[in-house]
Amino acid sequence: MLVEEFGLTPEQVHAESRLDELGVDSLATVEFMFMLEDKFKLKMTGEPVPIKTVGDIAREVDAMVAKQGIVLDAGGQAS
Amino acid sequence: MQRVVVTGVGAITPLGENADTLVQALNQGISGVRALDAPWTAQLASPLAAPVTVPVETHFPKLRRLVLDRVAQLSLLASREALSQSGLDFHGDAGLECGIFWGTGMGGATTLEQAYVESLLNKATRPRPSTIVMFMANSAAGQIGIEYKIRGPSFTYSSACSSSAVAIGEAFTAIREGRIRYAVAGGGEALLTLGVMKAWESLQTLAKPDPLHPEASCKPFSKDRSGFILGEGAAALILESAASAEARGAGILAEIIGYGNTTDASHITQPDAGGQARAMCAALSQAGVGPNEIHHINAHGTGTLVGDVSETQAIKQAFGEAARRIPISATKALHGHLMGATGAVEMVAALGALQTRTVPPTAHLDHPDPECDLDYVPEGARTLAVLDTVMSNSFGFGGNNAVLIARRYSS
Repeated sequence: MLVEEFGLTPEQVHAESRLDELGVDSLATVEFMFMLEDKFKLKMTGEPVPIKTVGDIAREVDAMVAKQGIVLDAGGQAS
Repeated sequence: MQRVVVTGVGAITPLGENADTLVQALNQGISGVRALDAPWTAQLASPLAAPVTVPVETHFPKLRRLVLDRVAQLSLLASREALSQSGLDFHGDAGLECGIFWGTGMGGATTLEQAYVESLLNKATRPRPSTIVMFMANSAAGQIGIEYKIRGPSFTYSSACSSSAVAIGEAFTAIREGRIRYAVAGGGEALLTLGVMKAWESLQTLAKPDPLHPEASCKPFSKDRSGFILGEGAAALILESAASAEARGAGILAEIIGYGNTTDASHITQPDAGGQARAMCAALSQAGVGPNEIHHINAHGTGTLVGDVSETQAIKQAFGEAARRIPISATKALHGHLMGATGAVEMVAALGALQTRTVPPTAHLDHPDPECDLDYVPEGARTLAVLDTVMSNSFGFGGNNAVLIARRYSS
């Protein structure tokens, strides 16, 4: 999604990539969280979570998916 | 007082991607008016508008576009062209001495309308988090600062159709008084959305489509005129103290010598010839030139029944007998009415006339109106033996009148 929606290259996007170094500022991070909520049909808690890297986002989404009992199909889509 | 010169111009308009294409298209009588290609135009009485048709979004990476409404994108492109021509780079200390003076009528109209659609019609969704920073009136000014590292004072002016003329006039004043050395001055507008266009339709000021020649629907000063065509775009001027421009050997396009700004204090939409004439007289007085020394006027000339008569009367009041000898052009017939951007676009057109010594025509003026009896150059572009000083008029709803005067520079 970072590649498709934000125009980053696959080479740039790794779990340890720092968002600020990718040019993804706090506003873009919130934008991305909104996109993730829509894609996975989940609801972020609104609690402040320290997010500095791409991996931080992935971990947060995984945690919310598990906590909210969301079932993903093989393509990663919320059913 | 400092003398103030123009060292760069930029324009992205319905007539093309830069200032040159604008000036050339105006002289050739090419119209940027067309039917909008959007399904929602079926809800409008007329699909006619003057859109920017050259690519805009593709100039910006996706990540950057997240916070750039179309009005900011257009504004950045016009500023880039003007800066490039000036040869200035504001990344260093020069950026501290440069101000931003930007005009817009509506700011990020597309973003705001999208947020309303999402909130009111589609309650399951929500506005994007960047909605506020994209539609706020000063979004373009802020983005110009960020993009080009301009760190002096910044101002956003919103006085409807005169916004960017006011921006240029206030930038001129700031440099003239020695407060800053450089300025990026101009304006942007991007309001071709369903909600905004329907609101304009309700106001009964838009031109009725010409059945045979829709591109000629706006007919300023013509007896059969019926209003204006909404347009979008942006234009920018780089203003600079003459001393600074001379010291760095910059190419000087013109000198700004006068600015008048008045308020009608009479009616929110109906213009007042007296208020308009006072603005012209104030600009002439500051410029120190007499009525016979203005060689061309780019009129506000919207093509409304009331507006064109008022401006004609105002020019007569301000210029007396000289009014009949001045070639007057209403270029909105071709580039449309760009609202907050239109004053800057027309100033670029007036500076183009100065440089080419050629006055653009008032297009589509086929039926002279006895109440509009000045020289509006209906026959086509006219090259003049002497064209050294130009005036550009901009009058806004709310009763604001802004008039700028420029002349050929000589040290």
